[in-house]
Amino acid sequence: MRRAVTVELLKVRHSPVVATTTALIVILVPLLCLGFLGVAENGGVGALGAKAELLVAGEGWEAYLSILAQMVAVTLFIGPGVVVTWAFGREHAEHTFPSLFALPVPRRSIAGAKFIVLLSWGALLSVLVVAASALLGLVVGVGSTADVNLAADLARLTVAGFLTTTIALSIGLVASIGRGYLPAIGAVILLTAAAQVAVLFGTGGWFPFAAPGLYAMSGVEGVTQVGLVQLLLVPLTASVAVWATMSWWHRAEVV
Amino acid sequence: MDEQQALEARSLYRTFGDETAVDHVDLVVRPGEIHAIVGLNGAGKTTLMRMLLGMVRPTSGTALIAETDIGKASREIWAKVGALIETPFAYPELTSRENLFASALLHGMPRGHIDPALDRAINRFGLAQWEHKRARTLSLGNRQRLGLASAMIHQPSILVLDEPANALDPAGVVFIRDMLREVAAEGAAVLVSSHHLDQLARVAHRITMLHRGRVVGSLDPLGTDIESQFFETVYRVDVELGAA
Repeated sequence: MRRAVTVELLKVRHSPVVATTTALIVILVPLLCLGFLGVAENGGVGALGAKAELLVAGEGWEAYLSILAQMVAVTLFIGPGVVVTWAFGREHAEHTFPSLFALPVPRRSIAGAKFIVLLSWGALLSVLVVAASALLGLVVGVGSTADVNLAADLARLTVAGFLTTTIALSIGLVASIGRGYLPAIGAVILLTAAAQVAVLFGTGGWFPFAAPGLYAMSGVEGVTQVGLVQLLLVPLTASVAVWATMSWWHRAEVV
Repeated sequence: MDEQQALEARSLYRTFGDETAVDHVDLVVRPGEIHAIVGLNGAGKTTLMRMLLGMVRPTSGTALIAETDIGKASREIWAKVGALIETPFAYPELTSRENLFASALLHGMPRGHIDPALDRAINRFGLAQWEHKRARTLSLGNRQRLGLASAMIHQPSILVLDEPANALDPAGVVFIRDMLREVAAEGAAVLVSSHHLDQLARVAHRITMLHRGRVVGSLDPLGTDIESQFFETVYRVDVELGAA
């Protein structure tokens, strides 16, 4: 497994997809949070103003963190979803899959190594995006921290981000079975929409693709609170998907 | 290699829906031997090679590697195998050297042996100029050279190459012929496919003709006008099957 991890790490380190996704999320999320906060505080008009009002709860840091929570819930599923799609789908789209047969390193281990590297990258991405957002908020001075427990809120957002990137690993199964990018990208879009619908119907806590987002927004008025069991469904679902993907890689034929 | 038969197909049969891709093929590749498979497009060469490497499961029959059923082959056995089937091991975002490093790791080479092996392969396969270039920038021919180097980085004793001369220039074709002779002389068992009978005749010890998924005969590599013999056989089989 260590050999496979080294190889997958090499691919991820040099991948323009991973570098671009990381940079976009870490740079754009804090800037968008700040932008929406500015629009909301200045009573923005039109569609942007309406959207900002929907995103923002409270004032100052409370408002800033409520926007960040929603950004984390969406971007840390879509971005890592795209990267997971690339990691698994590229072996089929670029026809490198046959090269992973007839080796002393089993294909099951190669798939497992992809997950280990992507999970680690997801953890790093969660820390980076929350840290970058916090830093920007402090530098710009988004307001009073009186209504928030900043350290606890940032820690919760980091955990929520990590849980979101963890559930995004499930996309690897679709990219493998679908043998390429398109089915997996379709799944990312579908699951993002399904999570929104589940939240609207008040069942988001029991839907592992929505639960981390709801957890990120804990404390925001009107948002359903997520319990520990509901949160545990996230790693459980991801584990089942990881196991199914590794089994698929073990049994799959070249077509 | 101690084994008498490095690769063996025992009545290998594979269908895809209604289509029979490989029809009860028996074939043996021994250590120190270059066994070539020749056939037209769609003859079943690639499917046969894929079955021998565990990439495709046979509908019936048995594939053996180092006298072991392919499904039970150990990591030690797979560590002796090198293969290039259709697409070379060349990840576009990695340099030639990084691709070779990745291949060496996945082929189970001891860490301490990898760096000298990379230097050797880069020089041997004429990749020095492109050592630090990303694979996406390489020409098709150089990607093929990189794929061949990746397949052979660990000095395998069982080598399976599907159309290894694909995209190579004339110098590359001569190079790969010399390379195959060299590894076979060192004791490796080589199974190779090609459309080009002339290339095979210059390098193979045995040539098996495959047509419509079946073994339809063999050719003497030292014989004269093997191309005519091949097409006569193919025509005869087509007539027989047409009559049937």
